Parts: sequence; C-alpha cells; structure tokens
Amino acid sequence: MYYAGVDIGSTMTKVVVIDGSDDLLSVIKGPTGPEHRQLANQAMAQALEQASLQIDDIAFIVATGYGRINVPFADLQMTELSCHARGVSILFPDARTAIDIGGQDAKCMKISSGRLVNFVMNDKCAAGTGRFLEVTAAALGINLEEMGDLSLRATERVEISSLCTVFAQQEVVALLSRGEKLENIVAGIHSALAGRISTLARRLAIEPRVVLTGGGAKNTGMVEAMKEKLGCAISVPEEPLITGAIGAAVLGKEICLKTADEHGTPPAKPRRLERATFFKEEYP
Amino acid sequence: MNWFAGIDLGSAYSKGVIVRDSEIVASHVIRSGSDYGAAAEVIRMELTERAGLSQDDVLHTIAAGSGADSVSFAGRTSSDIVCTARGVHSIFPQARTVVDVANLSTKAIRLDSEGTVTNFTVSEKCAAGGGRLIEVIANILRVDLVEFGRIAARSENPIEFGTGCAVFGESEAITRVSEGVPKEDIAAGVNRALARRISSLVKKVRMEEPCVICGGGALHMALIQALESELKVDLLVPPIPQITTAFGAAILARVAATEEKT
Repeated sequence: MYYAGVDIGSTMTKVVVIDGSDDLLSVIKGPTGPEHRQLANQAMAQALEQASLQIDDIAFIVATGYGRINVPFADLQMTELSCHARGVSILFPDARTAIDIGGQDAKCMKISSGRLVNFVMNDKCAAGTGRFLEVTAAALGINLEEMGDLSLRATERVEISSLCTVFAQQEVVALLSRGEKLENIVAGIHSALAGRISTLARRLAIEPRVVLTGGGAKNTGMVEAMKEKLGCAISVPEEPLITGAIGAAVLGKEICLKTADEHGTPPAKPRRLERATFFKEEYP
Repeated sequence: MNWFAGIDLGSAYSKGVIVRDSEIVASHVIRSGSDYGAAAEVIRMELTERAGLSQDDVLHTIAAGSGADSVSFAGRTSSDIVCTARGVHSIFPQARTVVDVANLSTKAIRLDSEGTVTNFTVSEKCAAGGGRLIEVIANILRVDLVEFGRIAARSENPIEFGTGCAVFGESEAITRVSEGVPKEDIAAGVNRALARRISSLVKKVRMEEPCVICGGGALHMALIQALESELKVDLLVPPIPQITTAFGAAILARVAATEEKT
C-alpha cells in the first residue's frame, strides 16, 4: 500500500509518496508561485513517475499547507500544524518541540506521543517569517541560498534595529553603503529573525528535543542563530522542507489503516489527477 | 529684506520652503534618493533660484526630518513634530489635531490654541502605518498615485486585507489581481486598511476638532475620504500638504532669528 502527502506552502510545494513502512519512494519540491498553486496535479504526477506508480496505486492522499484546498484529488485536507508535528515525530521520535520557519509564517509546535498538543504561530507580520530573509537578501543583491554560508564568515554581527521588514530592507542597504561588511549584515539579519522566532516559541515551554524545519532550517546561519537565541541544541532533518508532506502521508496511512480495521476494507475511491479550478468550491 | 528657509528631509521626499514674514515665496519637493546631503543642496539651489535670491539672502535655515543632520547649511535642526505643528498652526490657527501621513510613518499631534504641542504619537515600528503601503500596492496595480486615488473612489466593494503587514499586503494584492478582483476594489481596500490604522493612532491622542491632515498622504483624496469616514469628521487640508513641516521649520527659523536679535 502507498500513501501520499501533498503540502502546498505559500512559497514551496512538496509532495512525498511513502510505502507501508513509512519509507520515502519519491520527493518532489518546487516553487508554489501565483499561477502554480492550482497545479498540484503536476507535482503529484512527477511524484508518481519517480515512484513508478499510478494514481490508483495510492491508497490515501492527504493535502496540507496554506494551499491545501487547491488539491482536488486529495482524500482529506489537514492543517499543516498536525502534519508538521506528525512528520517531525516520524523523523525524530523523541522530538518534543518543532519550530517551522516557512516562507510566509513561523510556527512553534509542542509534540507529545507523536501528536500535536499545543502551538503558537505568526502569520500576521512578515518580520518573523522566512519572508524577512527573502526581502533583505533581495535588497542586498544576494541569493537566499548563499545567506547561510556568508553569515558563517562574519567577524561580527551588525545589529538590525528595524522591526518592520520594509524598514529593514532600507536599513540593510544603508548599512552596506556605510561600509559594513556584507557577511556581518547577513549575520545581523539572522540574529534579528531568530530573536523574533524564539520570542514566539518561548510562549510555549520549550523542551528537548527541538527540531527546526521549513525553508529557514536549510540556512546554516539561521540554525546557528536559533541555537544561540534558544540556548539549546537543535536537530535539523536531512530535508527540512518535507516534514509537513511526510506527516500528511503518515497521517493518511494511519486513517486508512484505522478505517480498514473498522470496516474490513480500506476506502477505495476512483480519482483523477486534475488541476484545481479557482472560485469553485465543489469538485466534480 | 529678511528671508528664512526650512528644509525637511524625509525618508522618501525632501521638501524645502523659503518664507518672507509668514508668506511662502518658494517651495520645492524632490525624491530624497540615497544622499540626504546632495538632496539638501539641490533643494537649496532650486529654492533660491525660484525666489530670485542669492544664498546669502537667506538669513537662517532650520532642518528637520530623518536627514536633518545632513543639511550642512542649516543653522540648527528641529524636531519634525514641532515643525509640523508650527506649520499647521500658521495655516490653520484653529487646528487642534494634526495627522501627518508620511511615507514610512504617520504622526498624530495635539495642539493647544497657541499652537503648542500638548501630545503626540508616531507609528514608526511598521510600514503598514505610512503612505508607503499605497505606493507598494499602486506599483502592483500598475497605476500611478493619481490614478490610484481615482480608481479607489469608484469602488463599491473594497477588499479586506487579512493582515496589517505591508509585505503580506503586497502578496495579497498580487493574489487578488490574479484572481481577477477589480483594481478599484483593491485600491479602495488599501485606503480603508490604512485609514483604520491611522484612525486608531489619532484616537490615541484624543482627537479634538478641527483636525488637519498633511504630509504626502494628504495628496490622496480617496485616503482623506476613507479617513474622514473612519474618524467621522471633516478634515482640513493645507494647499500644498507635503511642505507643511518645511514651512513650519522656516517659520521657526524666522522666530529664532528675531529672538536672537532682541
């Protein structure tokens, strides 16, 4: 039996296919983009191809993330919070705290017995999310991907005094023209964002093991800054982008097996891979 | 003849005014760019030329705004709050509340009958409280600021923004455009969101009428209307709202020079 998790994030779309023992058969990641958010079917088709499977081979599909409603072929939609927490606990069974730095939000989740028990999140202000990195990197004319390595070469940290992303955008350019070193500014950016996310996370009692996920966890400088601000060790999955999709697939598997126990057979439904059509709540 | 100048170097626009007595004889507004010092020099040259003066004719200059320290020819600097208050009081002596909608921040100021500042508050932590939000969204809608105001006034169904964040507002506007929402509804939604933020700021200083709106934000008729309906008052608007603070600085320069003499 195979199960799929589709995580349509604000910035990245992730699809995974797992088998009955939670092993990954395929992993697809691509930008969500404004026009691509109705194209979850394409990412799903790629995932099936990678796993050499047909859509009917998949017993259960769970969609999650900010764009989960745009996955008409999914059997169930679940919140990204439940899926992230489940995904993290699959990868790190002893995890108690998961912090996810997404492109347009940041969440801190408490996990107990592999399930989400409490959470705090910020999706109201860009300054506490991955968007802060994206905007300031663009203002400095560097790639998001190079920020981590750059900041590790910093000799000191330039303090970013602006709270607002829009102000910080101007501040970093001004710092650069004042002669501050690029790597020191980038280290300051990481420290500012880590400060905000750890303030958010502290609203919950942080217990080890702490796992950092999302695009922010791909940035080594950001991971270091989070360790410093939280004052504890942090684990990062090998691929931090896909914990939500893994959690979705595993939760789908669990629902499917539970239904099979109760009714004898798993729910089989014929499905077609099709693109989401907007402004239409009823799927054919 | 005694001429005095006020220079207001803001984060987005630099403004200058030359006065004789309380009359404006020249004013000028340019984009600040990245060099406040250079912007100040451009304004100084343009002002004296427009007024038909030489630079030595200007007896005293006061600088205000975030770039005030970069004005090498200013006699001294002054707080923008004091300059704005003085500018408004000189134009509307009856004014008791001032809303100054600048690019990056908005200020609400209370005045007494002498024009003295009795209270003020500034939205300075976050860009969502300033006029920048309008520029950002106008850019997405591919309209200039005049057109932005015009289309916003046409809307009957303004959109609601999910967050107060200027960065997220930008993405939200992009999403709405791609969903086919009419531009006028997005523009009107922005005005309403901004008007709500400004109105809560004004309420913090306990607004008393008459209330004046100045700063670059006061160039937007649709924003003024949105704010009037939030605050349920009629707002007074100076003839050139952007130069109010520079005008106040020039008046203060005249006062300072007169006091020195006596």
